[in-house]
Amino acid sequence: MPGLVLRRLLALIPLLLAISFLAFCLAAASPSDPAEVALRVNDITPTPELIEETRHELGLDKPFWERYCVWLFRALQGDLGTSFVTHRPVTDEMLRALPPTLALAGFATLIVLGLGIPCAILCFASAGRPLDIVLRGLIFLGSATPSFWAGLLFIWLFAVHLNLLPTGGLSGGTSFILPALTLALPSLATYTRLLRASMLATAQQDFVLYAKAQGRSRLAILGQIVRNSLQSTLATLGMTIPKLLAGAFVVECVFAWPGLGRLCVTAIFNRDLPVIQAYVLFMGLCFVLFNLFMEVVAGLVDPRIGKGGRAR
Amino acid sequence: MQTRHPLSLLPLLFALALALLCSACLDGAEGDAGGDRADAQKGRGIVYASTKDIRDINPHLYGGEMAAQGMVFEPLVVNTASGVQPWLATDWEISQDGKVYTFHLRQDVRFTDGTPFDAEAVRLNIMAVLANRQRHAWLDLANEITGCEALDRYTVRLTLAHPYYPTLVELGLARPFRFLSPKCFVDGGTARGVKGLVGTGPWILKEHRLGEYALFAANRDYWGAKPKLDFVRWKVVPDHQAIILGLQKGEIDLVFGADGDMFSIDNFEALKATGRFATAQSQPIASRAILVNAHQPFTRERTVRLALQYAVDRQAIVDGLLKGSETRADTLLSPRVRYCDVPLEVRAHDPQRAARLLDAAGWVMGPDGVRHKGSERASVRLAYNASNAQERSIGEFLQANLRDLGIEVRLLGEEKQAFLDRQKSGDFELQYSLSWGTPYDPQSYVSSWRIPAHGDYQAQLGLERKDWLDAQITRLMTEQDEEVRKALYRDILTYVHMECVYIPISYSRTRAVYNKNLEGVSFGLSQYEIPFEKMRLAGETGTLAR
Repeated sequence: MPGLVLRRLLALIPLLLAISFLAFCLAAASPSDPAEVALRVNDITPTPELIEETRHELGLDKPFWERYCVWLFRALQGDLGTSFVTHRPVTDEMLRALPPTLALAGFATLIVLGLGIPCAILCFASAGRPLDIVLRGLIFLGSATPSFWAGLLFIWLFAVHLNLLPTGGLSGGTSFILPALTLALPSLATYTRLLRASMLATAQQDFVLYAKAQGRSRLAILGQIVRNSLQSTLATLGMTIPKLLAGAFVVECVFAWPGLGRLCVTAIFNRDLPVIQAYVLFMGLCFVLFNLFMEVVAGLVDPRIGKGGRAR
Repeated sequence: MQTRHPLSLLPLLFALALALLCSACLDGAEGDAGGDRADAQKGRGIVYASTKDIRDINPHLYGGEMAAQGMVFEPLVVNTASGVQPWLATDWEISQDGKVYTFHLRQDVRFTDGTPFDAEAVRLNIMAVLANRQRHAWLDLANEITGCEALDRYTVRLTLAHPYYPTLVELGLARPFRFLSPKCFVDGGTARGVKGLVGTGPWILKEHRLGEYALFAANRDYWGAKPKLDFVRWKVVPDHQAIILGLQKGEIDLVFGADGDMFSIDNFEALKATGRFATAQSQPIASRAILVNAHQPFTRERTVRLALQYAVDRQAIVDGLLKGSETRADTLLSPRVRYCDVPLEVRAHDPQRAARLLDAAGWVMGPDGVRHKGSERASVRLAYNASNAQERSIGEFLQANLRDLGIEVRLLGEEKQAFLDRQKSGDFELQYSLSWGTPYDPQSYVSSWRIPAHGDYQAQLGLERKDWLDAQITRLMTEQDEEVRKALYRDILTYVHMECVYIPISYSRTRAVYNKNLEGVSFGLSQYEIPFEKMRLAGETGTLAR
């Protein structure tokens, strides 16, 4: 296992370099002149002299590779530049916006598990019967509903019509419910279907037949099937967390959630390139690290993976 | 059978830990912030929702929301419907040659940090603005001021390079000539940021959580009429629909905006129809128009531009899309605007005349329903800001009007920065345009036509007498004789009208939807001001806002 971790960590270096390069290139390839954008987002009329001065201030008059190396070197030290709009360090902006998004993603994961597992069990236990069909229909609806629409519907129903929850903003425990539910909806649908399919497959395995032959109770057998199926959906669940982090931007805009997604959307609208670069880099890092983390966990759960064998 | 490995619970544990850890952190942060908020909310205040954060409201820069800057920082004079009136200056004298302005200041004003507002504070602020002169290129006054002296404790002298006539009007704008406590300056200036945001205004910025809210408390020691509310909470809600839902739930007390930046006319009318909210509209405040680029192949011909004027059914836009809430515009600037009551030909909707003009210019209808002239096709792009609720519907209406005439219109809804890029490059045939509104109209708006970064400049580049136009505008700005000035405005406005560079649509208004308990909602002269200090809550007790 340590060998696997070391190999994967080493393999991460070129991957992270590639991500950082892409993040930098995306910003450099933007059709807008960053110097002009930096002026315009502050409602300053970009005159040729001012553009030149700003270009010099931002180091944009230096060659591409020099700018990339300087940016990368500073990024490695935790300095991701300064926002064109707020004039604050991007690292501070990211750190300010990260906890609300992490909290939202965490709660959404709990919802995925808390609702997804019982739903999958119900679907499995009533496979092919009306309850299964209705639940799967609802799940399909959940996965097909765009987040912004689902969010607005939730606000209308739970906040305006029933007056149970706040419409948005971060103002205490109850303010988590609607955004976390909206964020969880697509993953909930995916995870429930995956778990149901996995349970149906597990139910065909020999150990289930053996347990039945032993005369074990239906509940005990169901418990065994659930446990084994959960394990096989581990990787999917693990990768759900970065997906939730990355997918939070629509939900954060609808619910006025002061998180990373909204920071990025605002940056995109303002062409705030240092923030966009930092967001792309951070999300790339998240996916890569979660992937590694889940590989390690999967290796620990099933040692054959770590030894290069094949899991059943 | 496989056995369950304890590590298989890791994602669950991870999510749980993440959620608990972060919510604990957030609770802490909320608690810290909640102290001030609770203090402020002991009184009676309102929640105002905006899609935008107040950002950095340093009054000498342009990064913040103007309405928020206006709450905290004040000018020497104010622009009102009856002209320029005294504010922090009680009166002033203008020298015979129009180059020296001497202001006498109020003697009972202090910044909210206790610093007296005096001639030295004025001098330091004006010098701080001038030290960053390049940033104020759009405003001629910043380039005209050559000196500022404190003559005595409450007298200031401003010297100009030329007798710049809009001096008083521009001193009264929301920025940059507003006053920040000199104690907040960094390295003797404000260009590189400030240590605090302390003004003399009716509101004090108590708390600001970027992207969430800003809390303004009433300045109880204010020298003027004190605010009737104890606080205003500026809540950031990026989604327009979520703002409306918040209003319906009662979490938001006031929505205030111009030109579809907060809600569309449809939403405004729908909220009005519910009868649950009070609504208000300002007097016409700015000009909504379509800019026609005379520097692009198809729209280069004046006949084509004239045909476009007759092709657009402005009355139908006003009656249908704008629900009759705005006034149809026959000229770029409303005759109500100073210097703009110029007799100009009214071009009523006349599609037959438009067709005849195009026929005469050699644009013949092709089999595909689009006109052609040789190998050239009658096709235009209409660029607009995609995030504005109003602009798309007006664009679609124009598309239908011009299609009937045999002109293909491609709608280019773009993000604001892309829209501005296009404006600067001049890469458009038609572009949605909104004038700056009073008090910027007409002088600052007309003055901006000379700046290449503006769409107006790009669109006018194809005009035969563009140099003359720019020279007239330059001359106008320093013309002291009122009659000559009127004549110059008449010449300028007549020329752009005759050259058909603008298709006037309507004179836009600022709109407000608010809780019925809120009284005194009114509009300032500018579409960028919100007079919170005049608002009050009905009834004697209770806190309306959370």
